[in-house]
Amino acid sequence: MSYEFDWSVLWTYRAALIEGAGMTLLLSLAGLGGAIVLGVLAGTGSLSRRAAMRGAAILYVEGARNVPLLVHIYVWYLGFSSLRLPAFWCASFALAIYSGAYVAEIVRSGVQSVPKGQTAAGLASGLTPRQALRHIVYPQALRIVAPSLAGLFSQLIKDSSLASVVSVAELTFQAGAIEGVTFRTFEAYIGISLVYLVIVTAISQGTLLLLRGRAGFFAEPS
Amino acid sequence: MHFEIVWNNLPYLLQGLMVTLETAGLVIVGGTLLGIALGVARNARSRLLRLPAAIYIEFIRGTPLLVVLFIVYFAVPALIGFRFTAYQAAVIGFIAFITAYIAEDYRSGLASVPRGLAEAGLASGLTPAQVLFLIVLPLAVRRMIPTLFGQFVRLLKFTSVASVIGVTELTGAALTVNAREFHPIEIILFLGGAYFVLCYLLSSLGRWLNRRYAVRV
Repeated sequence: MSYEFDWSVLWTYRAALIEGAGMTLLLSLAGLGGAIVLGVLAGTGSLSRRAAMRGAAILYVEGARNVPLLVHIYVWYLGFSSLRLPAFWCASFALAIYSGAYVAEIVRSGVQSVPKGQTAAGLASGLTPRQALRHIVYPQALRIVAPSLAGLFSQLIKDSSLASVVSVAELTFQAGAIEGVTFRTFEAYIGISLVYLVIVTAISQGTLLLLRGRAGFFAEPS
Repeated sequence: MHFEIVWNNLPYLLQGLMVTLETAGLVIVGGTLLGIALGVARNARSRLLRLPAAIYIEFIRGTPLLVVLFIVYFAVPALIGFRFTAYQAAVIGFIAFITAYIAEDYRSGLASVPRGLAEAGLASGLTPAQVLFLIVLPLAVRRMIPTLFGQFVRLLKFTSVASVIGVTELTGAALTVNAREFHPIEIILFLGGAYFVLCYLLSSLGRWLNRRYAVRV
């Protein structure tokens, strides 16, 4: 083995790494926001009494889930190239639509796990079906699915590395740039994989803390 | 719409499809075997086995697939001075990646095997290795069929990432055709449709196997 390690490049190019990590987070948050909107709509829709609604939700979930994320990115980047969307939005839309299908499955299982009596009681006390869903079912479902949602967010952050393929300057892209300047291939890629590890671990540990703490949104009703 | 573009380039695209299928096949077999081996190590009694396995699983599960591929294709060769072809790097990278996830799934498969069965095996005179291979593994793996096929479908989609390091699998072939013809909508519709069919078939196979072989408790 003749390779001499030089980990100092990570410190020298820390600005690029921090910028890349910031872009990764921004991209993941944009993707997560869209995925939650799509996922709540499709997840609730797949439990609807109307067949058309169920059909549309299932079509979306199966269509989005069974196609690779990279292809989703190319749909926006190449397929709709006449729209000239910035690469950041191509990647965000792709992440939102792809992950939205997984959120839909999580939402569906969450809503199904809330006892039927809860909705019935809400309706009996004079709430409209929409109010019952919003004020009774969703809050209870959220507590149940919070760990799965956190897992999905970690997955989304890792998936966002594919945005580097359409040259969004996120973490993986920056590693390539650092490698191009310094030829420190090993340090650059191991370095960013540790950054991903830190981000993903922070999210999973943070959720655990949130869930364990009794304050705020996730507290059990007393 | 000019779907004759897809038709005219079909032989080339099908070649790409064959590479995708071959990659997925190799990785499914290699990843499942190594993943279960890693899972056994992760749940072993010896700390010497457990700890390295745990570190490996945590590292891979915290790292994006693309970065794992870059490490295998660019970083490891810088270290050992030997360069894999893009295809070899992709297969090794995918196996290295999916192994960690399957090992983690094995834990829940193992948890579903009642302890009493293993104890009964030991009490009746089987060696620990016999208990593992004849009693625990067959039951755990049959319990794992749905999650395993979930991983396989994920993996089939992930093979598209190999195009980034220059493997001409299905996505790579489609991008090449698009670079020559520039009819992105038709080509991407074909590409998405092809993956959809493949993934759908694979998950249907998983459901069928699960109906047939699942352990009912």
